Amino acid sequence: MNGFIKTYRIVLLFVLCLLTLCIPGCSEKDNGGKSDEMVLRHRMGTKLQTLDAGNMRGVYSMMVGGQIYETLYTFHFLKRPYELIPQLADGMPEISDDHLTYIIRIKKGVLFQDDPCFPNGKGRELKAQDFVYSLKRIANIKYASQNWYSFKDKIVGLDAFREYTKQFKSESEVDYGREVQGVKALDDYMIQIILNKPWPQMIETIFADNMSSPMAKEAVGCYGKDIIRHPVGTGAYRLKTWQRGSYIELVKNENWRGELYPTEGGPGDEEAGYLDDAGKSVPFADRLIWRVIEEDQPAWLLFMRGEIDGMGIPKDNFNEAVKLENREVTDEMKDRGISLKHFDDPSVFWIGFNMQDPILGKNKPLRKALSRAFDREHFIDLFLNGRGHVAHGFVAPGLDSYDPEIKKYGYSKYDLQQAGQLLEEAKKIHGGPIPKLTLAMPGTDTFSKQYGQFIQRQFQKIEIELEVNYMDWPTYMAELNKGQLQLFSSGVSASYPDAIDFLTLFGTKYFAPGGNKFFYSNPDFDALLEKAEVMFPASERLELYRTMERMVMEDYPAVFTSHRISYILHHSWYKNYKPHVFSYGLSKYRNIDLADRNGYKRKLKALKKKDQ
Amino acid sequence: MTAYIIRRLLYLVPIVMGVLLVTFCLFTLVGGDISQQIAGKNADAETIAEIRHEYGFDKPLFLAWDSQFLDHFKKAFTFNFGRALDREKIGEKILRGVGPSLALTVPMFLGTLVISISFSLIVAFLRGTVWDHIIVFLCVAGMSIPYLSFIIFGQYYFAYKLDWFPIFYDPSRPIYLSIILPALIGIVAGLGSSLRFYRTIMLDEIRSDYVRTAFAKGLTSRKVLFKHVLKNAMIPIVTNTVLSIPYLILGSLLLERFFGIPGLGYLMIEAINARDFFVLNAMTFIMALLIAFFTLVTDVCYAWVDPRVKFD
Repeated sequence: MNGFIKTYRIVLLFVLCLLTLCIPGCSEKDNGGKSDEMVLRHRMGTKLQTLDAGNMRGVYSMMVGGQIYETLYTFHFLKRPYELIPQLADGMPEISDDHLTYIIRIKKGVLFQDDPCFPNGKGRELKAQDFVYSLKRIANIKYASQNWYSFKDKIVGLDAFREYTKQFKSESEVDYGREVQGVKALDDYMIQIILNKPWPQMIETIFADNMSSPMAKEAVGCYGKDIIRHPVGTGAYRLKTWQRGSYIELVKNENWRGELYPTEGGPGDEEAGYLDDAGKSVPFADRLIWRVIEEDQPAWLLFMRGEIDGMGIPKDNFNEAVKLENREVTDEMKDRGISLKHFDDPSVFWIGFNMQDPILGKNKPLRKALSRAFDREHFIDLFLNGRGHVAHGFVAPGLDSYDPEIKKYGYSKYDLQQAGQLLEEAKKIHGGPIPKLTLAMPGTDTFSKQYGQFIQRQFQKIEIELEVNYMDWPTYMAELNKGQLQLFSSGVSASYPDAIDFLTLFGTKYFAPGGNKFFYSNPDFDALLEKAEVMFPASERLELYRTMERMVMEDYPAVFTSHRISYILHHSWYKNYKPHVFSYGLSKYRNIDLADRNGYKRKLKALKKKDQ
Repeated sequence: MTAYIIRRLLYLVPIVMGVLLVTFCLFTLVGGDISQQIAGKNADAETIAEIRHEYGFDKPLFLAWDSQFLDHFKKAFTFNFGRALDREKIGEKILRGVGPSLALTVPMFLGTLVISISFSLIVAFLRGTVWDHIIVFLCVAGMSIPYLSFIIFGQYYFAYKLDWFPIFYDPSRPIYLSIILPALIGIVAGLGSSLRFYRTIMLDEIRSDYVRTAFAKGLTSRKVLFKHVLKNAMIPIVTNTVLSIPYLILGSLLLERFFGIPGLGYLMIEAINARDFFVLNAMTFIMALLIAFFTLVTDVCYAWVDPRVKFD
């Protein structure tokens, strides 16, 4: 037996020696390619769904698609408040006096990227007809675009076109040559849009959004349903590799017409170095890479290793990255040259009440009592690491119509005594003790569970019993849209800088499956909404928006909890990383200090030695 | 033997039908309508109806020639599973994931098997000694530590701190570099239960009379252990080994997710999270087929390793 064990030891030693020799060769040297190649490396928190512009809605699709496709208009990269500027359009639109007809001219000489779908594989020139085709495609019911709701009842003849498409069996059978009065190419470089009624946010909603990016008909015809992974755009980059579920790589689009880095910015941009590249040709980066990393730990480790240039801060790493006392990066981060940026996200989160619910809908004191019992500051500290503002209203800070005085109305006051009094009133209205309420959480993950328990404890303080149902997202959405949920946790982020996005959440005509998941209905509010929806920016509109916000808040259709503050970390070599909450096609402006990046490994070694 | 195999293959037919019926009930009747999910958050009733039509959710469930149930059978038997929720072909998804999953699970499986069988022979031989106690203690300790802890520690310490391995899968480098660490973690994490299992088998054998006789005859330890004990312990080893093969194809859910290996384990997690019943359905069906097939292979292997087994 001794001999047997001896032989075994020898074999084991041999295997260990082999592993020792192999192991150092396994580590990551650098995944960003050659050291003189400019590559932007990002994390993608979940897999990319589609790169078909007409059906894009998710953030990640926009993030990648925004580099490949372009829109008629976009928001200025640096200027704040956000300013709309032409991108594919040749100037701002000409708008008729009745605000119903828009004439948009498009730039000449814009080329689609080279792709086998074109004759000889050479990208052809972009024409006005491509925009018309793309809008009609979204209207085509056989295409079933997620974005149709933005167009419904808005453009003359487009709803009728949708009706016409119902007779066909598939998307490709539809005749896109069929005239639609409200969407026309007047010539190769001029588009005419005619609206049913004035729509002041049309440009921001549609023509600055990736959904309206021009699609080449040849590409859709060539790839059919596989167009989701064969994007053919006019943007600064084109897709090189998409390993679905794991890796995306874009390279420069050789056909792109070129652009210069902005020479003007907002206040403080010059000092922050955002204008260092002013007037230079963009894009700077040769390649853009996204790695799909769903778990926070590997993403964080890759970032700390310098293999991801910038990312949000995972909840579990927040204390490692940010000092709580002054909201600055910790010394460890400073030593590594890591910087922090934070900015207001135009979002609002709430615990919504179903206003058609027999217990909640007719009992305002009960709704108000629940709002008073919720300690928002504690919630923000506990769940968001302080990364949020108390939501005193529902219009997010950072938008023009945000009311800085909203706090004084006390809609989100935490006052248990008053909550108790209100509850007594509520019991009288209900005709006895309030029965157990049911809250739906849109997730079964740890965060949802902890948050659900937190809400339970908050309401228990005024002796309201709460049952929490943790649901998967589709079930939650289906029940929410049918009005089957009593209380629900939700939130929304503005997709353009106009509070109308939030106000429509309370219009009767927007009942679910539209945005109004509260089933809140107030005829006075509806009348004001009709007026506000067709008003162009002016001080009168600002006042109207604020009045409408207060009108809703007075009815307590929800416990509005917080507005999110986004925190982003990035390495010192990542330049021009100015946060922007409404545009996605910004990678062309990002720059990399290669010397700094290439020296990071040395920096890490030096820090390691210092620690020892 | 041939008759036995044919008979067993025929048994597969009702098994597969049963699986199809169960998956249909599970994913179609219980799972509910997912057209709202596909149509998007703010879709109107018309768009949802269109999606229902496109995916065939508006067809009768059972009693019609073009019922959803028959569609379900047709898709399974032709291996044409259609498109996933993200509109990619399910067949392509599965084929793409098989390679990376096997690249991770096969070395993990073989490593665990070889190490645990070899060590189980040694500890069975050294039963009752300090070494036996230490190894059993380590096995129990290894079994008590959650799998996730092995992953988190391994990734942090060996990939990040020591920089011996890549932290995450990088498609620009050969896949074997990215699977060494997860495979080692998988081996270490699985060794405890595996070694204990094989130790019990070996102990049963090593206490047998024929082992005592072999040692009495003066055979060397190596000959007794590898020629006699191992051979007689082959039936449980074969059962355990062959029945594990289908799961190799399925991949490793957690390891693939943490190390970004784009295999079928990752695909399954994604499908579960997205309620993509089309993908789950296809994967369940394929797994059922594989398990049924490898159960048959196991039975055939018995005869190969143990001449006493006869197929009547």
